[in-house]
Amino acid sequence: MTSEKKQTGGSVLFNVLQQHGVEHVFGYPGGAIMPIYDALYDSEVQHFLCRHEQGAAFSAVGYARASGKVGVCLATSGPGATNLITGLADALADSIPVVAITGQVATSAMGSDAFQEIDIFGLSLACTKHSFQVTDVNELPKVLHQAFAIALEGRQGPVLVDIPKDVQLAEVTKSLEDFSQLKNKVKLPPANVGSAIALLSKAKQPILYVGGGVGMANAIDELREFATITQIPSVSTLKGLGAVDPEDENYLGMLGMHGTKASNIAVQECDLLIAVGARFDDRVTGKLNEFAPNAKVIHFDIDTAEINKRRVADAAILGDLKINLPALAIPLSIEAWQQKCRQMKVDFAWQYDHPGENIFAPAVLKEISDKMPKNSCVTTDVGQHQMWSAQHMLFNDPSNFLTSGGMGTMGFGIPAAVGAQVSRPTDCIIAVSGDGSFMMNVQELSTIKRFQLPVKIVLIDNAKLGMVRQWQDLFFDGRLSETDLSDNPDFVMLATAFDIKAQQITKKSEVTAAIEEMLDHDGPYLLQVKIDAKDNVWPLVPPNTANDKMMESI
Amino acid sequence: MNQYQLTITADDKQVVLERILQVTRYRGFLINGMNAKVNTGTNTGTIELMVKSERSIELLVDQINKLIDIKEVKVDNSATQQCSA
Repeated sequence: MTSEKKQTGGSVLFNVLQQHGVEHVFGYPGGAIMPIYDALYDSEVQHFLCRHEQGAAFSAVGYARASGKVGVCLATSGPGATNLITGLADALADSIPVVAITGQVATSAMGSDAFQEIDIFGLSLACTKHSFQVTDVNELPKVLHQAFAIALEGRQGPVLVDIPKDVQLAEVTKSLEDFSQLKNKVKLPPANVGSAIALLSKAKQPILYVGGGVGMANAIDELREFATITQIPSVSTLKGLGAVDPEDENYLGMLGMHGTKASNIAVQECDLLIAVGARFDDRVTGKLNEFAPNAKVIHFDIDTAEINKRRVADAAILGDLKINLPALAIPLSIEAWQQKCRQMKVDFAWQYDHPGENIFAPAVLKEISDKMPKNSCVTTDVGQHQMWSAQHMLFNDPSNFLTSGGMGTMGFGIPAAVGAQVSRPTDCIIAVSGDGSFMMNVQELSTIKRFQLPVKIVLIDNAKLGMVRQWQDLFFDGRLSETDLSDNPDFVMLATAFDIKAQQITKKSEVTAAIEEMLDHDGPYLLQVKIDAKDNVWPLVPPNTANDKMMESI
Repeated sequence: MNQYQLTITADDKQVVLERILQVTRYRGFLINGMNAKVNTGTNTGTIELMVKSERSIELLVDQINKLIDIKEVKVDNSATQQCSA
């Protein structure tokens, strides 16, 4: 870009986006962002019109998670901006690099309670990694470059840039090449490698506790090499699924509230817990002071603030996993422990025999997992179907399983699938949803239709808010309060109205053919899977309970 | 409940004070007192924050340090004390 050609704030935005390799953005126009949409008209950046700003934010999140690139979303001021907030909070909780651009009323009107004016800059403080409000168009290029740098550096996250309408219209008068790079201000202390090696060497029953940070650090190869050399049995968080090779004989599955029995018992019995890009989330630990009670802890992370936050680390290894994991990869003599863990994996393997003709959701999801093309990407919403997907589907990369982990946001799955499909047009994208979550962003079916995105939607339908219903049954004396959804719309008719082919199945005998039809279909498809409203997710660690005291049935 | 005094050096940027106060509240610290000034000619500001909490001060220091515009956070150990409320 040169300073010879006059540029407006709007055109500068798209020039900088292109400098950062952005080809696709998700958004929704409105009054205070019209100059930017006018500049879009001349831009090579492709815009995907979503049908709600929340859909745009989640599509940007899905795009980022599926591709490893920064996701970009646009919204106007006021309600457009506030509608982004849930998606930004989701991105912050799961450390996803997103840049959100919001229009703002003109600087002369700011602070006057103008039409569609909200202090999104103030609102952004709690739901972004950082945010900017640009009041001088000459500052805009620098701010936008900084926004991308901040979104990607260290622990990744969402950044919001609020641009008043007059700044979008104003001409840049200074050279656009004159911008300063952000300095990397986070100074990490030296990795405590010596202490960690000593702990590893002494350990008889170590466990590798793998979190979402592994995928974010692009350190999957290093993690697998570490697991291969050390032969340490491993468990995964929800967001870490796919980092460990799911076929690794030492891999025990997900831990935590709905983790496998083998994982949870192994963690409780371990004498060394090696946390890699994981943060001891409450859904993982159960009752914190009874979590891995006899274990020393080695904690690998990029974020200083995660060390000692919920569990004291005996050795903290801060920094880049790609460098630090190989430094600790030493062969260990833990054969007895390996054997015990492998035996637990066999003893507590999932069972798919299920009485009666009603469809068993775990078996459906396993069959989809077995039959979906290699490198398929699965998104989920939040609830029972999400946990069943995590339990019964296998992923060979974290970018192939996109689920709202930290924030647990219903309505995530469909728009995230939109973003994933845009970023990976030749891969099979499957959105597993529930009938409650599906209705939270159902308008995004229109985005799927508009762009003829071949997203496959598997709608696990129990006509309930199933996870809340399960908890009401288990922990609130069966007092089913506001969890009945028996007045759901006809989902097949609804999908058909959006020109999406759809089918409902109600019996086990229909499952295999329906899955094959869905996967063979060229375009978007909705498969509605009716299940028994009383089916529960097992195992379940009750709240504030140690992970080895899990419930396995009523 | 422990009381601590923090001295924070920050770039003189928009809403940096709000960011510090938001993080302090969210991370479970009550503010007993505060002084803030812009340091002329350096584009920085200094914020002295008196906070109290049952939580370790390191948890707050680490979180404030993560804010983009923060240059340095120091804990004045001489001002750290137990308090009854």
